[in-house]
Amino acid sequence: MLAGHPHKPRVGLESDQPSMRILPNLIQNKFLNLLLRFLAAILTIAALTFLMQAFKPELANQVIVLIYLLPVMLSTVLWGLGPGILAAFLAFLTFNYFYLEPLHTLQVHANQDLILLTIFLIVAVVLAQLIGQARQGERLARSREWEATRMYELISALARLQDVQSVAQVLADQTRETFDCTQVEVTTLEKKDEASAAARSIESAAAIGEPSSRVRLDTAREHEGELCLWLSGGQLSREEQRLLSAFTSQGALAIERIRLARGEKRSRLLEESDKLKSSLLNSVSHELRTPLSAIKASVSSLRSQTVDWNAPERNELLATIEEETDHLNLLVGNLLDMSRIESGALKPHRTWNAMSEIVWGVARKMRSQLQEHHLVIELPADLPLVPTDYVMMEQVFTNLLSNSIKYARMGTRIEITAAADDGGLHTQVANQSPQVPEEHLEAIFEKFHRITEADKVTGTGLGLSICKGIIEAHGGRIWATNEPDRFVFHFTLPLTLDGALPDSPREIENG
Amino acid sequence: MDKDPAILLIDDEPQILRALKTILAANHFRVTSAVTGEQGIAMAVAQPPDLIILDLTLPDMDGIAVAESIREWSQVPIIVLSVRDSEKDKVAALDRGADDYLTKPFGIEELLARIRVALRHSEKTLGNKGSLIKAGTVIVDLARHLVTLRGEEIRLTATEFKLLAYLAAHADRVLTHQAILTQVWGFEDYDHVEYLRVYIGQLRKKLEQNPDEPQILLTEPGVGYRFKASE
Repeated sequence: MLAGHPHKPRVGLESDQPSMRILPNLIQNKFLNLLLRFLAAILTIAALTFLMQAFKPELANQVIVLIYLLPVMLSTVLWGLGPGILAAFLAFLTFNYFYLEPLHTLQVHANQDLILLTIFLIVAVVLAQLIGQARQGERLARSREWEATRMYELISALARLQDVQSVAQVLADQTRETFDCTQVEVTTLEKKDEASAAARSIESAAAIGEPSSRVRLDTAREHEGELCLWLSGGQLSREEQRLLSAFTSQGALAIERIRLARGEKRSRLLEESDKLKSSLLNSVSHELRTPLSAIKASVSSLRSQTVDWNAPERNELLATIEEETDHLNLLVGNLLDMSRIESGALKPHRTWNAMSEIVWGVARKMRSQLQEHHLVIELPADLPLVPTDYVMMEQVFTNLLSNSIKYARMGTRIEITAAADDGGLHTQVANQSPQVPEEHLEAIFEKFHRITEADKVTGTGLGLSICKGIIEAHGGRIWATNEPDRFVFHFTLPLTLDGALPDSPREIENG
Repeated sequence: MDKDPAILLIDDEPQILRALKTILAANHFRVTSAVTGEQGIAMAVAQPPDLIILDLTLPDMDGIAVAESIREWSQVPIIVLSVRDSEKDKVAALDRGADDYLTKPFGIEELLARIRVALRHSEKTLGNKGSLIKAGTVIVDLARHLVTLRGEEIRLTATEFKLLAYLAAHADRVLTHQAILTQVWGFEDYDHVEYLRVYIGQLRKKLEQNPDEPQILLTEPGVGYRFKASE
């Protein structure tokens, strides 16, 4: 695997063709190969002729002719059609020369012999051709089958992959295994939000110098990258080139598929956040206008010259203004918190705190809102200190209590209890609001989730999701349960800070 | 006092300036105002006020820097007013020169109370610093190392007394956790907030009528503690 592979200069990017430097070498190889095959065919005939000299007296010409078909067949099977035809002609000449009267000449006197010789030549050539074709067909079929297998393996390996880097790696590995090469490198281009990837597959040692071949990874739409390969020797045949281009286009398709899947996911997310934003705007504008209209109405009444307000009336209007401004302030705070949670900027400043101090502090601040309910706080005296962000925990209790006040009938009990156990500090805020259907129990902690119609209850629908954000930022968990006659919020908080418990306080020396 | 106390407002928001000028003047303060940090510092030098109300978000410089700069040569009380409500900002302002901190929006009664406390405190530091501090039925006698509740002596450990004495000596002011820990336990223990939680809890049990709803030793959420003395 290779990360940050240095980009080689893109020279001769489109050279699928062999570079001029290795061409003569290659032709020589091919020519030599062919020459050897023809030589082998000649040698076979020579060997047979030599062998036949020993049995000559005992065999009739008709038998010998049949025997001479053997090397023709052998040559075609072993070395191909060309050497086979050559063998046929050689056999024809040799037979004529050594076995037909007059011997040791290429002349034929007897008509019978002429017929024999002609038929032999025809049979031999036709035989060689038939065998050659069959052999070529079979070889082709076998190589097609092999290609198909390799393609199948590549496609099924690529189909499972979900990221560009592994596609590049699989493509490089499979290409190296399929083609006769020492090293393969695949590099993909950087796209919008997709970093470039590079993968290398090496047989033993890294290849030196320029690659033998560079192939573009292209799909119908896009240029995705490049594949470079270093051949062990020789050059890719036309079939191999075809297979290689099939490989690279499969690779390019796989990369494109991953990009498209990502794009689809992104657009789904955008769509969702768009929906979220518009529901936020709806909810916020509704929420902001309600207190604003109350304030505006009160202030304009007080300024009005036509009415002479008495003291209790003035106080009532002024109280409304103050309460509504507090409400607005809370709303802005919630929005700010939500955006901090959304952007991951919510970082609790955890210090050792006494839960009772936080809970009682919140109870004092919310006294006026809690007037209609009966708040019971039952915290054991020996509750351990818990590492929390004081202000954020205040926010959690404020939101849970606000929620309880909103949904529980007047005059009912709201209870706050806590206990330490193996799982940390387990706190419960219970109220006597109506039960929440089981299928909503998790969803109530999501943004803007409401069980009732939006305009029946005030609030942004952010409170509980902020609680969830804060508790999770503390490494805790929050959930809700229905119990007989009660609805309970639960949350847990870890009791250690960086794995440690609080130090017991140091008593200082007198003086 | 023969003259009304002078307050310098450093804030760039016209609505706040307009409201505060009206309200403070009605409460018998002489008010001047500056809309940038530079201007504020210059005015504080030219005509030293009795108290400064400072916004943290100013067009030319950070409010904390203004407080620091004034603190270099003056002990004038500084009350910070800011929309920044994170404890980090509060602690930074208090540790670097501010005497008190109020988050916008604030109740005007709260601001007036804080102004009175700050002015009283600065008078004390100027000379007649009393050694008896009263908070409801509790009296802390700093000189005689004595604490009484409804006339009866309360036994305190050495640590408890040192902590209470430090808070009482700076009555009505917000003291940050760090400041208290450094003063009472020493510099090496400045981040052991857990000590404070335990000792404040013990003091509340001994001094408060209802330790769960303290009236004397008040928590400043995320910032520190405040000893609330009787007027």
